[in-house]
Amino acid sequence: MTTLTASSLSRLSAPGIINSEWIKLRTVRSTVWSYAVIILASFGIALLASGTGNYDGSSFPAAEQNNLLLQSSTLGIYFGQLVVGVLGVLVISGEYSTGMIRSTLTAVPKRIPALAAKALVLFLTTFVVGLVASFGSFAIAIALLGPQGISPDFADGSLIGNLVLSALYLALAAVFALGVGTILRSSAGGIAAALGAILLLPTIFQLIAGITQAQWAADVLPYLISNAGVGMYTPTTNPDALGQVQNLIVVLVWVAVSLVGGAVLLKRRDA
Amino acid sequence: MIKAEGLIKRYGAKTAVNDISFTVKPGMVTGFLGPNGAGKSTTMRMIVGLDRPTSGSVTVNGKPYAEHAAPLREVGALLDAKAIHTGRSAYNHLLAMGATHGIGKSRVNEVIGLTGLESVAGKRVGGFSLGMGQRLGIAAALLGDPATLILDEPVNGLDPEGVMWVRQLARHLAGEGRTIFLSSHLMSEMALTADHLIVLGRGRIIADAPVAEILAGSTRTAVKLRSPNASQLAQMLQGADVTITSTEPDALTVTGLTAPAIGDAAARAGIALHELTPMSASLEEAYMQLTQDDVEYHAGGAPVAPLTSQEEVAR
Repeated sequence: MTTLTASSLSRLSAPGIINSEWIKLRTVRSTVWSYAVIILASFGIALLASGTGNYDGSSFPAAEQNNLLLQSSTLGIYFGQLVVGVLGVLVISGEYSTGMIRSTLTAVPKRIPALAAKALVLFLTTFVVGLVASFGSFAIAIALLGPQGISPDFADGSLIGNLVLSALYLALAAVFALGVGTILRSSAGGIAAALGAILLLPTIFQLIAGITQAQWAADVLPYLISNAGVGMYTPTTNPDALGQVQNLIVVLVWVAVSLVGGAVLLKRRDA
Repeated sequence: MIKAEGLIKRYGAKTAVNDISFTVKPGMVTGFLGPNGAGKSTTMRMIVGLDRPTSGSVTVNGKPYAEHAAPLREVGALLDAKAIHTGRSAYNHLLAMGATHGIGKSRVNEVIGLTGLESVAGKRVGGFSLGMGQRLGIAAALLGDPATLILDEPVNGLDPEGVMWVRQLARHLAGEGRTIFLSSHLMSEMALTADHLIVLGRGRIIADAPVAEILAGSTRTAVKLRSPNASQLAQMLQGADVTITSTEPDALTVTGLTAPAIGDAAARAGIALHELTPMSASLEEAYMQLTQDDVEYHAGGAPVAPLTSQEEVAR
């Protein structure tokens, strides 16, 4: 009646677990929709940002022209962090809400490799999507701002680097949300917490700082994930502000805390 | 081969599994029987490491499940038919599960064929009926061609043909020398499928014996009687090998004594009998009797309390 012929060579392996998570990521509709929204919205925002201005760019210094192009190309990433904030949570909370997590952890009973593979696959995929969004938007910005006398100065290598950094931030924000989702295990709670950290915290601290003139609240602001994220890919001349590398470190700390917290709980809790 | 030793699982103040030890041997179907809430699912989750025992240990083929290099090849588990992402197709679910162990498309198609899911494999699992979900869960359990299969309530939601199929599959796989561990709350199902039974009630093992032995133990004739002096009669009939239960104030059910013996004893004591009926207990009744003290949730009314219980029926 039955012939059972699975290869006797098959065993649990890191590439196998990564492949599994890649199959899982691309075979649910929320992933496809989220990434499509990020790319299309980025292009749309770039169109609006560079098509509605009216510049006489010939008078602008090269660095300022580059900044204008960078801004038009990365506004979509700022919006995209909200989408990946949702997606990152769903990647794991969707497994908890459907019971899939029990299948996942039965296949990978040491658990941590499954979370690591999820984080890696989500990071890489989001990074590629971020590159498509930022460089596509960049092309749109060049096309629309060029006739207004604004053109990129590639002699200053930082322009391309900053576009790459914006995609990197998008990918890191997704992994941050994955950690939050792992800690909270619920879609509603996870999304609220992830978007709260990304979107709401800066507003809250700004309000506190504005109303009470409290210096500590103003001091906290640059260390919030979304502020540091924008700082990662936005050059600054302000000597008091965090540099791009420092901002990257701040974002990495947010990601590490959320992911390690999720890993510890995943390992300890009953599934 | 599954070996549990002193397994305990507590959730806060509630003890779900209370110090159980058992061995599930290869080459046969072992039934895991017990009322809902007895701790069957918790025990099965502990075997594959989803729940951590409060104390005690359980090994599969000599090692804790998580220590195996290819867990899916050691144990295939159907723990919960809903342990599948509803937004993914059956085919992709199996592909993702298999990928962890390098199990490819050909094996996925094989288990899809084996479980009769060809026509729905490309559809999203969210639209599956309970029976189709169950078949998909079994397909996933078979992916790694495992030496041990753990199936938690596998016939739940299956149509009669599906029930028959699971029964034959379990018997066939056991015939190949595999270890089959099958849970159910239905004694009748177990009687048809299992060789050996482990009966669980309120987290404890009530019986651990071959099906034939439990059958023999439970088909001892019970005698139902009615008498205005039932309690007096009950005290009189007590003995080392006698179990007496009372369902109503004037009614008793006696096992371990024949109807003539009870009638004679009543006559000697001058106690009037209004009814004396020998009954052959069915397997289902024997199971009810085994577990009646250990049912977690009674469906209204007072539970049937035994007056005396000198021994467990199965032993």
